[in-house]
Amino acid sequence: MAFSLDLVTGALGFLFTVLILSYLIGDNPLFKIAVYLFVGVASGYTAAVVFWQVLYPKLFLPTVLILQTGDFMRGVLLVVPWLGFAFILMKISPRLAGIARITMAFLVGAGAAVTIAGALTGTIIPQMIATIDFFDPSLAAARNISAFEVLGNGTILLVGVVTTLAYFHFGARQKPDGSPKRFAPIDLLSWIGRIFIGITLGVIFAGVYAAALSAMIERINFLINFLTSLLGMS
Amino acid sequence: MRVLTAIIAIAVGILILLGYFFTQAEVVQAVLLDWAIILAGTATLIGIFNLITVHADKIRRREKDGVYSAILIIGLVGAFFFGIVLKPQSSFLQSVLLEGIIIPVEASLMGLLAVSLLYAAVRLMRRRADMMSIIFILTAALIFLGSVTLPFGEMPLIGTLIRPWVSQIWAVGGARGILIGVGLGALMTGLRVLFGIDRPYGGK
Repeated sequence: MAFSLDLVTGALGFLFTVLILSYLIGDNPLFKIAVYLFVGVASGYTAAVVFWQVLYPKLFLPTVLILQTGDFMRGVLLVVPWLGFAFILMKISPRLAGIARITMAFLVGAGAAVTIAGALTGTIIPQMIATIDFFDPSLAAARNISAFEVLGNGTILLVGVVTTLAYFHFGARQKPDGSPKRFAPIDLLSWIGRIFIGITLGVIFAGVYAAALSAMIERINFLINFLTSLLGMS
Repeated sequence: MRVLTAIIAIAVGILILLGYFFTQAEVVQAVLLDWAIILAGTATLIGIFNLITVHADKIRRREKDGVYSAILIIGLVGAFFFGIVLKPQSSFLQSVLLEGIIIPVEASLMGLLAVSLLYAAVRLMRRRADMMSIIFILTAALIFLGSVTLPFGEMPLIGTLIRPWVSQIWAVGGARGILIGVGLGALMTGLRVLFGIDRPYGGK
């Protein structure tokens, strides 16, 4: 293996993999060094990305161009972000931090609107349509599924959706012992919902565990490959 | 100030929301979202600056784990400096920071999760062996058994029939319920902000 950027990358990868996997023998200083350095490097890299991908092209560069060309009419659109930029910087000083609330209010308002639209168009409506479409005979025929199968599986799916939602019943009051107090039929539905939630979380757990196991195998494979190539055994 | 911030949040939220329903409001929505992106970027930088001050304070007060804080700040300042000078897409930064540090650490932490999850599952069965926990563990075991590849192929019945049925029908039903519940919760949170009932930016 020639001394190159690839070697540096591989050596760093090897070192950090060993440092992190050292946690298997318990929490130790080597693991802490790797984690703290990771947080620092990731934060510094994020800050650089934010500067080059967001602030420079959207704020600094247009401002410089406007100052150079003298087209101050276009600069009107930059007044608000510059004000917001200045206000949010006030957060650094505890005395002036209150002014930053104006920018935070802007961000919260924008976030709320995007959340509402995202929840409606990205989650609630598509999930409801997908549940309804399961009973569509033409779609089932296209997928070569029999009517009996559609009805049986579709019913299980629908019961799963309804009972899981009943479990997360937002209007439930609290009993003195802290458990939710629900209307009896809702209580029955939520009990069935618990079964579906248990099954869903079990499937998710199995998926995450399989992914984690794959990552562990990939890392061990990387360590072996790096060592064998470094020692010229491959 | 309280009234002003509420007016700003509600007005910005409504104007952005209108852009999703009326094409005439799309221009205003695009401008407001562009401003929000700039301000969110600035807020990220302020957050990172706060991380530096917190750890600098730990070093100044000579706390027990101060040396780790120093390592964090050195890593942060170094990555930021090289990121600004070389730009994040430079091949050197991509190789050293991303492929050398960030990706190996993330993959290794994901690998550690395999051990942590197994330990958590065992602890769950020891501490709380109720109906939910038993269903949870049995389902996970069933999915594992159904996914495992044996020398003679998939496990009969479990791999070919039961696992797909459980993961594609039963689990999807629960997952859809959870997703719709999360969506409804997000919708309510957003509406409460737009109606001025919740003011997380300050003020009651």
